[in-house]
Amino acid sequence: MQEYKKTMIGKDQIVPIAERMRKNEVWLTMIHAFVTKEGQIEVCYDYQVEPNIESYHVVGETVLPSIGGIYDVAAEWPEREINELFGVTFEGLDVSQRLFLPEDMLETQGKGQIMVTPLSELRKKNREEAGQQ
Amino acid sequence: MSYILPIGPYHPALEEPIHAKLYTEGEIIKDAEVFVGYNHRGIEKLCTERNAIQTLVLVERVCGICSHSHALTYALGVEQINGLEVPKRGAYIRVITAELERLHSHFLWLGIACHIIGHDSMFMHIWDERELVMDLLEKLSGNRVNYAMVTIGGSRRDIDDDLRREILDGCDKLKAPLDRIVELAVNDKTIAMRTKGVGVLTREDAVRLGALGPHARASGVKIDVRKDSPYSCYEDFDFDVPVVDSGDVYARVVVRALECYESIKIIRQALENLPEGPINLGTKLPKIKEGMAVTRHEAPRGQLTYMVIGDGGFNNYRVSAHVPSYKNTPTVPHMLRGNTVADAGLIIASIDPCFSCLDR
Repeated sequence: MQEYKKTMIGKDQIVPIAERMRKNEVWLTMIHAFVTKEGQIEVCYDYQVEPNIESYHVVGETVLPSIGGIYDVAAEWPEREINELFGVTFEGLDVSQRLFLPEDMLETQGKGQIMVTPLSELRKKNREEAGQQ
Repeated sequence: MSYILPIGPYHPALEEPIHAKLYTEGEIIKDAEVFVGYNHRGIEKLCTERNAIQTLVLVERVCGICSHSHALTYALGVEQINGLEVPKRGAYIRVITAELERLHSHFLWLGIACHIIGHDSMFMHIWDERELVMDLLEKLSGNRVNYAMVTIGGSRRDIDDDLRREILDGCDKLKAPLDRIVELAVNDKTIAMRTKGVGVLTREDAVRLGALGPHARASGVKIDVRKDSPYSCYEDFDFDVPVVDSGDVYARVVVRALECYESIKIIRQALENLPEGPINLGTKLPKIKEGMAVTRHEAPRGQLTYMVIGDGGFNNYRVSAHVPSYKNTPTVPHMLRGNTVADAGLIIASIDPCFSCLDR
């Protein structure tokens, strides 16, 4: 049975936890994020401590340390994705190149706004832009 | 002479769009970069506007190869949040579909690998045998892709005695061609010459970079969520997890070929011991309770992970999908270094990448 164990942490604990997990050859399952009902961004670090998932959540921070130095690209790609879609800054992470969004969206309001902005507003913006052309 | 060689996003050796930059010295690749995002459809964002049943339909369309895996993993998430226990018969039918999907995916990849190395007769032979599996999936679900076999609380279609016998017969028919394919994959000189020692990913790198699925198992890492954290009754079945240590393209061919035997073994056990009872809970349109779940399934390419958040309403509050190609694609530059340009297409394809899955 797959279980999910959630722990709230401060951002200063992100790196020590990642180092401990990496030392024990624990897989970083994923780093994902969402916007809480209160409008804060919650970033979740999921590790597979078999047979369970241990998940460490940081809430309300817009600048976090990168764990790319510990988990290499396994962490860098999800961090880049969260940077593009939620606008969270990861200290030390190279975001000079796009991951998912088109280049022209990086130069506009697109970056960091995709998962934050309601879909209806994004559609409205698209329609307005299409109308202008 | 140094030069930068671009491959893709559209290239004859690539089935889906990815862009790679190869930094070469003569014909040797010194370094490489990969760029994705050519298939990004904003599926996670769309999920926030859909209820659980609509989401099943949507996530099945993330990928044409492992569509059942996406629906299954999402459903496991909603069921975990809502505390639903799937009837055993429904869980077994999910497993049968998942393993048939693995079979067709592995046959498809083995064929493509042969095509890329120029062994086209083998490619046609394997894809011909794959039709047997596709026929079984069509009989089971009514479709060759997007099977729609999963619903919240179980499976949508039952397996009657006639179909049960037909799938068992199909497993018997697959045995001889699979023996021939494995024999060729393991011993054929053409395949060995093009794949042995090519695109090596060491065990240490596989662990550090978080490789998943057959890609990791071909580097000597015994990781398989069906064994490590069983779900959907996988603990009921006796099967092995093939592991090869050499970490090259050859190992990836052998691991996937051997995994086909294990899938047939699981399908056979599931059909022979198919429990009586309902196939689902009869759940109509569920509200997704307030809560969060992270669920995993061993898809054909490796571990597929879904994070589902509900807020008590019908629609998802948030869905996030992390697919095996998300972890395996960044390992490609490490495998390309030191190899020749001629092998680049094969090495990229050897992880069985799915950019539809990756980009979502």
